[in-house]
Amino acid sequence: MIQNKEQWLEEASKKIKVPKELIEKAFHDELNGNPSIDAPLEVPDIMDITYKYTYGGISRFFREIRDNKQLYGTKCTHCGKVWLPPRINCNECYAPTKWVKLGSTAKIITYTIVYYATSVFYGKTPYVCAFVKVEGSDTLIMQNVFLEDVKKARVGMKLKIQFKEYRNGDMGDFWFVPAGEDLQHE
Amino acid sequence: MNKVGIVGVGTTAFKARWIEKTYYELAYDAAKLALEDAGIDKKDVGGVVYGIYNEFFERQFMPDVYIHNYIGMGLKPSVRVATGGATGGAAVFVGWTWIASGLYDIVMVLGVEKATDNYNYAVGHPTPETLKAILFSGDMTFENPMGLTAAASYALPMIAHIDKYGTPTEKQMAMVSVKNHKNAINNPIAQSPKLLTVDDVLNSKMITYPFKFYDNCLYSEGASAIILASEKVAKSLSDNPAWITGVGLSLDKAFAGERDDITIFTSSLYAGNDAYKMAGIKNPIKELDFAELHDAFTGAEILSYEAFNFCKPGDGGKLIEDGVVEMGGSLPVNPSGGLIGCGHAVGATGVMQTGEAALQVQGRAEKRQVKNARVGLVQSIGGPATAWTAAMIVERQDKIRVQRGKGTKGQGVKGARMKRTKGKGSKGARVQQARGKR
Repeated sequence: MIQNKEQWLEEASKKIKVPKELIEKAFHDELNGNPSIDAPLEVPDIMDITYKYTYGGISRFFREIRDNKQLYGTKCTHCGKVWLPPRINCNECYAPTKWVKLGSTAKIITYTIVYYATSVFYGKTPYVCAFVKVEGSDTLIMQNVFLEDVKKARVGMKLKIQFKEYRNGDMGDFWFVPAGEDLQHE
Repeated sequence: MNKVGIVGVGTTAFKARWIEKTYYELAYDAAKLALEDAGIDKKDVGGVVYGIYNEFFERQFMPDVYIHNYIGMGLKPSVRVATGGATGGAAVFVGWTWIASGLYDIVMVLGVEKATDNYNYAVGHPTPETLKAILFSGDMTFENPMGLTAAASYALPMIAHIDKYGTPTEKQMAMVSVKNHKNAINNPIAQSPKLLTVDDVLNSKMITYPFKFYDNCLYSEGASAIILASEKVAKSLSDNPAWITGVGLSLDKAFAGERDDITIFTSSLYAGNDAYKMAGIKNPIKELDFAELHDAFTGAEILSYEAFNFCKPGDGGKLIEDGVVEMGGSLPVNPSGGLIGCGHAVGATGVMQTGEAALQVQGRAEKRQVKNARVGLVQSIGGPATAWTAAMIVERQDKIRVQRGKGTKGQGVKGARMKRTKGKGSKGARVQQARGKR
């Protein structure tokens, strides 16, 4: 039996970064019941790692988005294919690529509407994930498309890029909206 | 290459949560069942290939090393395979190479997965946390931040396919769900045996367009093991072993936006063609007697009919409408219930499916037995937008046909069954059921 319920909750909450009342609810039987000594015993736990991750050779892609609100791809110096997501070499030619400015319009090639998401995306459902072809690129990039009505998403829909006001230098800094729309999504 | 037989099969129940077992305890149960089914001792095993998908599910990196220890295989060769949803199938593929190369005579392939020790305290349910654990499999820079779930990953090629061909329709997908839930009723280890109507599926809540609740498989926990053996050993252990006569493994571009064609399951097409070629199968719809396909989502099963050349692209939905893939049809798909009916204990799933195929061709599949099952196809899909496929052809090659379903002479492993462990480990009676022939 848990000897000091309050202390146990305090320590668990600190360890897994979850409010005490939620932990109490999840462990109600263990805390308040009298389970047999052989009953399965569950414990609160978390796996948590912090990073200082490097974008390596494609750092410029994220700096251009963050600092200049500009989308860049990379063009193979051998075959001329334009990559987005960018890469500093071509996996077909094994040749280096160079940075090229891309347009601000795009088209949906395929999409889906997510109604049930992970805990990270709670409160954002339903949302559209799409493979879009950005003007000037030969490959597709995955991005969110924001629509007033998600059910209006269609293959072939024409889009334009929008940037977040305060940008962090990651893929969340931009998204797409229908080309004709003035609405700024935030 | 040497011939590779399947001489033992063991699978625990697939269920939403095995609260009473850890991952290595589940692995032990499956290992024990498979060894008993083969009638061999763990000492006879040359090496073990583990299929375990997700470190966050197990709450453990390198979980295979602890299983290897726990099941008493210390110092034997071992390797872990992790290929997303295709983990189990790819583990079988690797185990196959160990025998086919002549390196070992007996290899155990053991798949296991926990999934619902993850827990989201805010909603009081594991699923959001399980989805989050999977999301780490999407490219962390370009895909993970977009909120791509496993269902969304399948939905992207699906919508592209529907846009191009107009199929599969929501009704055709619902029919697959009805079929697989129904087939699971005959499977004692299944998680979701259910009699549903097409309307039940169509009216269930939208999860990820176009997949509704009953179009999805559920997360399962469980373990499955098979024993592979060289020809000589297989024949000495069984009068009627199953043989893996073809294998294929393909990994498509994980950044699916680079693919030439996103409307089809290209890795399944490639893995399937390799497996067919090796097994000498030219006309799958005629030559295959059944298939265990990776129906993580109903539409995926239909696109797989097309990728495996059961029909032309766009025509997959007709196979379910015409009853071809139903039990009693000319090519039953997922007699076990598949991932939707039996469950999806990721690392264990492909091993379970391969074991199912072995039971089918040996005439040991009990109530879910397909009549005259000689040749079956197994598919295991994983990775972003169905990037990975492992495919296997499992068949029987005996000259004396077994009288199926009667447990008569000619059945290799008398009385042995794909047994269900009920959380208390195998009972002595069950141990005695399995043959002890060496």
